[in-house]
Order: sequence, then structure tokens, then C-alpha cells
Amino acid sequence: MTFAGRWTLALRLLARDWRAGELRILVAALLIAVAASTTIGFFTDRLGRGMLNQSAEFLGADLVLESPRPVDPGWLTQAREHELRSAATLQFASVVVSGERLQLASVKAVDDSFPLRGSLRTAPQAFAQGQVTGDTPARGEAWAATQLLQQLEIDVGARVTVGDLSLQITRVLTFEPGRSGGVFGLSPRLMMNLADVPATGVVQPGSRLTYHYLFAGAEATINGYRQWLQARLEPSHELLGVREGRRAVGTALQRAERFLGLSVLAAIVLSGVAIAMAARRYSERHFDMSAMLRCLGASQRDVLGLYLPQLLVIGVLASLAGSLFGWLAQYGLLYLLDDVLPVAPSGTRLWPVLAGLATGLVTLAGFALPPVMRLRRVSPLRVLRRELAPLPGRAWLVYGAAIGAVLVLMWRYTGNAALMLSVLAGAVAAVAALGVLGFALLMVARRLHARVGVAWRFGLNNLWRRRAGSVSQILAFGLTLMAMAVIALVRSELLENWQSQLPQDAPNHFLINILPDKVEGVSAFLQEKGIATSQLYPMVRGRLVTLNGQPVREAVSKEEPRDNALNRELNLSWSTRLQEDNRIVEGRWWRAGDTGRPLVSVESQLAQRLGIELGDVLGFSLGGATLSATVVSIRSVQWDSFRPNFYMLFPPGVIDAFPATWMTSFYLPASESALLMELVREYPALTVLDLDLLIQQVERIFRQVTLAVEYVLVFVLLAGFAVLFAALQSSLDERLYEGALLRALGGSRRQLRAGHLAEFAALGLLAGLVAAAGTECLAWLLYTRVMDLDYSFQWQVWIAVPLAGALLTGIAGYRGTRPVLERSPMVLLRER
Amino acid sequence: MNMAHAQHNTIIAAQGLGKRVDTAAGPLDILADIDLAVDAGETVAIAGVSGSGKSTLLGLLAGLDLPSAGDVWLAGQRLNALDEDGRARVRGQQVGFVFQSFQLLPSLTALENVMLPLELAGEADARKLAAQRLERVGLATRLDHYPKQLSGGEQQRVAIARAYAMQPAILFADEPTGNLDNATGKRIIDLLFELNREHRTTLVLVTHDEKLASRCTRRIQLEGGRIAAAATPA
Ligand SMILES: Nc1ncnc2c1ncn2[C@@H]1O[C@H](COP(=O)(O)OP(=O)(O)OP(=O)(O)O)[C@@H](O)[C@H]1O
Ligand SMILES: [Mg+2]
Repeated sequence: MTFAGRWTLALRLLARDWRAGELRILVAALLIAVAASTTIGFFTDRLGRGMLNQSAEFLGADLVLESPRPVDPGWLTQAREHELRSAATLQFASVVVSGERLQLASVKAVDDSFPLRGSLRTAPQAFAQGQVTGDTPARGEAWAATQLLQQLEIDVGARVTVGDLSLQITRVLTFEPGRSGGVFGLSPRLMMNLADVPATGVVQPGSRLTYHYLFAGAEATINGYRQWLQARLEPSHELLGVREGRRAVGTALQRAERFLGLSVLAAIVLSGVAIAMAARRYSERHFDMSAMLRCLGASQRDVLGLYLPQLLVIGVLASLAGSLFGWLAQYGLLYLLDDVLPVAPSGTRLWPVLAGLATGLVTLAGFALPPVMRLRRVSPLRVLRRELAPLPGRAWLVYGAAIGAVLVLMWRYTGNAALMLSVLAGAVAAVAALGVLGFALLMVARRLHARVGVAWRFGLNNLWRRRAGSVSQILAFGLTLMAMAVIALVRSELLENWQSQLPQDAPNHFLINILPDKVEGVSAFLQEKGIATSQLYPMVRGRLVTLNGQPVREAVSKEEPRDNALNRELNLSWSTRLQEDNRIVEGRWWRAGDTGRPLVSVESQLAQRLGIELGDVLGFSLGGATLSATVVSIRSVQWDSFRPNFYMLFPPGVIDAFPATWMTSFYLPASESALLMELVREYPALTVLDLDLLIQQVERIFRQVTLAVEYVLVFVLLAGFAVLFAALQSSLDERLYEGALLRALGGSRRQLRAGHLAEFAALGLLAGLVAAAGTECLAWLLYTRVMDLDYSFQWQVWIAVPLAGALLTGIAGYRGTRPVLERSPMVLLRER
Repeated sequence: MNMAHAQHNTIIAAQGLGKRVDTAAGPLDILADIDLAVDAGETVAIAGVSGSGKSTLLGLLAGLDLPSAGDVWLAGQRLNALDEDGRARVRGQQVGFVFQSFQLLPSLTALENVMLPLELAGEADARKLAAQRLERVGLATRLDHYPKQLSGGEQQRVAIARAYAMQPAILFADEPTGNLDNATGKRIIDLLFELNREHRTTLVLVTHDEKLASRCTRRIQLEGGRIAAAATPA
């Protein structure tokens, strides 16, 4: 046969199969896989960009370059040539004077374009609600933070002096993009116009200055510019993008992305199982055709040449349709979620469509190719002896292809090789273990069969008779139920976890800069006013300088040459008790007798980034002094809990001698903000940080993620139904025939129905048990390894999942096998 | 009809039996005006060229299908008056089947195949009885074999053991030797007739085979869906 001839024939055969309804399940399963992945792809893409956008609003830009000196003007020219918008700010510490009173303030001088993203908020007077503004301080004017006004005991309208320049306070600054990024800014803010800076005369050679260059523009351009810049940075420069911008938001977003990715993967793998089942049936139903073709002189190559193009056409068409569906569904979703979703910079992008197409083809190749390849090996002798079936595909080929496909998809959806491999190894082991479990359960059920009624005996017998098929169905349904259970579990857990992390009275204020001699007074004040606080923590500023005797920059230069933790001063603290939301992941917490010993506990993410391990010796520089300490524990920290948390914790008696300030956090409803004024008046050196905006943003992200998760659940469910449907279909021919025979032998419809019901309910129950076991393991893995959450044994799973399994498969099987009852037993006399 | 039943001990009767199917070219009578009566213990051959309606008639007589005209009585029950489950009950209690292509369930062993009708009837000793039936057809050593592992003749013997499992009053066989060679076919026929004598079963079989037809007490010749010669005693 010629190539063209084969294709024409292939397309004609495909059209006939389509007309005869042979392709429905294969196509439906593929559609679900692709639609799920594209919808979620579109959605997460949108969500992710929206969140980045939000983060950008908090950062004030898409990219910020921090430098102690003005940078090469060429860099800014380069940004302009890239069509990036830019703004510049200069930050310095300066004493602000008002009459008799002086206060050290952190002055920020900004140009007219500041900020590029998000906006400033100002209020007409202290402690009033801030309003968004598009302005910046005009020349000769300044905006001050409430604390500054408090400390200087002045109000809006007063004049203050910065260096040689007198400025009039015209507004109260309540929010400033970029400011919340570092929660521990120390002195209160005064914002002024950049053009006024020379007149102040405070910028002298040797002054400690921080220049910020802000850039904003299209994502690709920003990334390009970022790379361009990165190659030119000096050690004193620091680049801050939206991703590393904000820790709490970043963690939430990262978890959400991982979880969504895994969920999509579950939907795809389930669809894959359905596809494999459908492809197998498709292949089996084409044995006769292939045998006949072979008989008529077609070579094995010709047979493949006929079926592979069909598969390809199915793949491309179904994937395109699925992508289209996903694209439309996403619009529906955007419409529905208009008020919750963050605003994305621009419309939707096309790549999810391409990704959907690729996903469809990869899934099809992985799950459908091996069974279809079997057609090549159908013996022409089958025309004479119908029972001749080709050898089943080689196991390594069948599973290898599926695993390969899953690997490719996993890489695409999680982008994490380590995670991918461990999940895969776990999955293979789990599938094997669950298969064995399924078989064992089946054997137990078989033992029971003597003790149950006729219908159940019949159903159980049926399961046992088709045991190979039954085990794979138990496994398939089990995996489906497991995926749904895990997602449901994780969803509610994430929600609960976040909500319990952020109860109504989650800390929304940080009090920092409490001097040692004021600790008691401040505690007493807060107690008196009935404000519950977290513990008070001492805070010593220090820098990590050596790792096992080597300068830390060299020690880690390969992986993370510019880790922020190395450039900034770290907040070091000591504590006897481990904070509630901290967990020791390696090593041990202080023991009695550790007091005064040079030991340190390191936050786990930082430890991972810098490659710090138990037993390493860290060298710190505190003020002028140095200190070495041995790492005895690695600690995980919940940064989004809004409680004081530290990278480095020492036992008591190690850094106590260094100058420390204390900090705490507490919840204060907006209605009681007057208390803050009182507090600050009494303790002028204090700094109060208001976290409400930040908390609101994190809450919004939780809501968005929850919605996304619920949305994914729908697709996982759909994929689960596809599996159920495909499994039913794959055994339907056999059942139709059996049903006819049983009826000829005198079986009543009721017996058949009861038998089917019993069989499917038993199948669902067994699958449910398998799923429950799998759920516990998988959820444990996910919680502890992927989401950094604690896991506790979920006994409800063992009841809910088997019941749901029995109910779902029972009903589906009962309804799905209805044609069996309608089929006339006459077929026995007609079909040879 | 009760009269006839009483007089001749009629176990199968058909009156004005017809089957009409709808085809693309309009309705088509594949069977028409069939009147016949079969006495208990008789052996009847239904003969005719391919397409003459033999299988259709067998299906109607056995209650596998419903006629579009006329009536069928089987073991004293008017089949058209029963619903599908009623007919199934009659089949289960009174009727055994042997098919040309054996119709054994491939996923069941020989023993399990024979157990099926017993299990459906709720027989407590299904396993023991089934083993006995298989022993009777000479397959005592093949109980746990799957149909795939048996030759065509052996498969048909399993089918016969299954047909006799419930000791039916009537056995319907549609070309029971059609898929077998002559020698094997002959042995199967011998077995069928032996069992027929042992159990006093009424045997209705469809066949092309002149020799087989001639061993029956009676022969019904079909031509184009009608009985050609009156049911003539052989
Ligand atoms: N459902 C149907 N629709 C259309 N035609 C049918 C249907 N069932 C049977 N026929 C036709 O009725 C005729 C009789 O069929 P039947 O199977 O009874 O023949 P037969 O005598 O058993 O033939 P053979 O010896 O080949 O088995 C045939 O022409 C067949 O094509
Ligand atoms: Mg026939």
C-alpha cells in the first residue's frame, strides 16, 4: 500500500468507527484530560500572573535594584531602550527636627513616577483610614508616618527640618509599596521629593544611602532586562523581583501552584487510565479487522500504517477540541470569579492551548499506543480460529510508555525533578502494593462468598472469575477514589490550616524596637489594656559571615551567590521554648544544660538554600564582635503565621550580652487603634507595624486558591467518571453475552440485576478500601514533603471512601449494565 | 389445547406462529403460519436450507424470543402470556440448550460453566451436581479446565452437561455438530440420544445433517419460513 493510500483508507476506517460509536470513550477520556489540563493551565496562569501582579503592587514595581550608590546611568538608558518604565528613590536615615524634639527617621525621597505598581495610601491625620493616592510629595512638602508624628508630638501641617531643609508635613503616610516587604524597618518613615534632597545637604560622601531603582514592564522584557542586569551586578547590589519579594504570599502561592499541578496531574493520569481501558477495548474490537486485513495481504507494517494515523488524528482532533473547551471554560470561570480573581496584566495567552495539545498527544501515546500496537501482531489465522488473540503487549512496553508519559507530564506540571522522581517511585510502589492489597481483598471476599445470598455469591463469584480484570478495576477505581479523597482532604486541610493559622485574632500588629528596660513596661501596658500578645522575643542584629570556617559567600557561591540572607543583617534571637508554629525537622531542641553553650537552630529553608547541615559551625558578626555556633537543629517555620519568627535561634545565655531590642505581635481591631497612639506616646522609641493589608492579601490568595482547588476537583471527578465508564464499557460486551446466556439458562432479570449490583458494590467497596490505604500514604507524603504541613491519621477516610466507592460504582454499574437486561437471548443462536 | 395436552401428552405446541422483523426494505416475515405439537419424549429434527428460519423457530419454541403472531405452549405454559422473567423461569426449570458454537463462558472452568444453571436456581449442591454431570459426559478429569484448554468436542460435551444440569424436560439443540468433524459429531449425537433416553427428555434439534435428522422420530422441514411438509413421523 502507498503512504497516501494508507492514509485515505485509515481516515475512511476512522470515519466508520466514529459512526459506529466505537471511539466515544477514547475521545471522551482524552477530551477530559486535555480540557482539565488546559482549563487549569489557563486558570493557574491567570491566577499566577494576577498574584504576581498583586505582589508587584506591594513591591511597587516588577523589579527593584538596590544599591548603596547611584548606578551606571547606562543601566537606566538600557531600561528605557527596553521600553521599561522606571522610578528612583533614595533612602537614608536622618534626624528629623521639630522645635525642641528630634527623632531619627528613615527618609525616603521619591521621584514623581514612584511607585510603578500599586499605590501609596495617605490620610489627612494620624490614625485615620488611609486613601489611595496617585500623588507623591510635592517639593517643599513631606508625608510622615503616624509614629513619627507621635514621636515628634506634632500634627499634619507642622514644619519639620531635615538637614538644612525645612519641609511642611501635608499628609500622613499609611501605606507604601515596598515597605511591607521588610517587616522590620526600624525607624518611622518620612517621605519627601527626590528633587529636594540636595538642598538638605545630608547626602555626603560616606553617608549610608540606599538607592532603589524600580522597573516595570511586560514580563518577558523584565526577565530579559533582569538577566542583562544580573551579569553586571556588583556585590553591593541587590535585585528584588516579585517572586522573592514577599515571603508569606510567596509560600501560599507556591503551595497553591504545587497543589494545583498535582491535581491536574491526577486528572490527567486518571484520564490516562480511562484512555488505556478504552484503547484496549478499541484494540480488541479491531482484532478481527486486522486479521482480515492480514489475510487479504496486508503486512504488519500496513496494519500499523492504518491504525497509527487513526490514533494521531483522534489525538489531534480531541486535543484541539479539549483545548478549545478549556479556553472557553476559562472565560466562564473568569466571568464567574470576576470579583475574587486578582487583575491580570493582560488577556489570556495561547500557550495553554499548545500545552493542551501536547498533553493530549503525550497521554494518548503513553496510554493508548501499546494496546493499539498489539493490532500489528494479530495472526491472520484468527479468521479461522476466532479465539486466537495476539500476545498481550510486553509489560515493560505498556507500563514503560505510561510511566514515561506521566514523567513528561509531571515535569511539565510540577517542574520539580526531585519531587517528580520521588512521587513516581512512590506511585509505582504504591500501585504494586495496592494491586496486591486489591488481590488479597478479593481473596477475602471470595472466602466470604459461601456465607452470602445468591446475588452476592454471584457478584463475588463474578469478580473472582474475572480476577485479573477485577484487580485492575479495583486499582483503577481505587486510584480514582484516592485522587478524589486526597484532593478533598488536602483542600479542606489547607483551608482549615490557613484559617486556623489566621483566626479572627491573628496578630495584625508587630511591636518592635522595644528597649530592654521598657520590656516590662510595655508588657504591663498591653496586659492592662487586655491585649493578648505573643511571647516577647529579644532581637539581636547580626550577619552570617562564615560557614565551617570559610567565608560564607565563597562556601555557597555556586548555588546561591546572592542570597538575601547573606546581604542583610539577620535578626538573631534566643528562646527556651520552641514556638508553637515551629517544628524541629532535624536534630534536637535545647536540652537542660545547653544554656550558654554556642549552639544554634537554623530555619529549614535557609539551611537548604545555603547547604547548612547539622554539626556545621556558623560564624556570625554582631556589631564588632564575632561568635561561632554549632548547628544542632533545623527548624521549619510558618512564615505566614504573622508571629515573630527568626532564621537563627540560640539557647539562652549566648547572645544575651549583645545589645538587643525586643519584639512581639498582637491583634488589635481597627476600632481600637487609638490605643496605639497612647502606647506610642508613652514609649516613643517603639515602632508599630500594621500588617492588616498584608493579611488581607494573604486571605485573598487563600480564597482564590480554594476556588481553583474546587475547580480542579470537578475535573478529577470527571476523569474518575471516565475511568468508571471506560471500565464498564470494557467489560460490557462480555457482560451482554453472559447476560444473554444466563437468561437462556433461566436466570431472571432480578437475579442479574442483584448480581450486578452486588458485584459493583463489592468492587467499589474493595476499591474504596484500597483507596483509603492509598489516601493515608499519599496524603501523608504530600503534607509532609510537598506542603510542609503536619499530618495526622484520618480515620474518617476508612469509612467515607469505601462507602462512597460502593455507592458510586454500585449505582454506575447498576445503570451501566442495564443494556444487559434488554438484550434478547436470541443472540446466542445468531452470533457465532 | 388442554385436550391435546391430555391426549397426546403434548409438551410443546405452536399455533399460527409467525415472526415478522422490520428491515430497511420494510417488514419481512421470516416465519409464518407455523402449527406444530411435540409430545413428551419425542425427538424432533427441524431441517431446512440456510436462512429458512430454523434458528428463529427454535428461539420462539424455547421462549428466547417472542412471536409477532400466534402462540407457543411450553410444558403447559403459554409463553406469550409470561413476561421475560416468567419465561426465564420456565427455561430454567424445563429447558436445556446446546448451541452450535457451544457458548461456554471463557472466564469459567468447565465445572463452573456447568454450575451456572444450578446456581441460578439456587441449588445448594451445585458443585457436586455439576461434577456428576461432567463425569457423565466423560470429563471427570477436566473439571478445572477452561474452555480454551478443551477441544471443540470436549467443549460441546461440557455444554451438554450444562444443558442436562437441571434435568430439563426439553432439550433444544441448534446444529450441535455444526462446528465439529464427523466422527466427533457422531459421538456427540450418540451422547445426546443416550441422555435423551436416560432422562426421557424431549429433544428438539436443528440440523442440516440428513443422518442426524433420520435418527429422530420426526422431522419438520422448513422452507422460506413455512413448514413445507406436514410434520411427518419418520
Ligand atoms: N432480526 C432480524 N432482522 C432481519 N432478518 C432476520 C433477523 N433475524 C433473522 N433474520 C433472517 O431470517 C432468516 C432466517 O434466519 P435463521 O437464523 O432462522 O435461519 P436458519 O435457518 O437458522 O439459517 P442457518 O442454517 O444459516 O443457521 C434469515 O434470512 C435471516 O437473515
Ligand atoms: Mg441457524
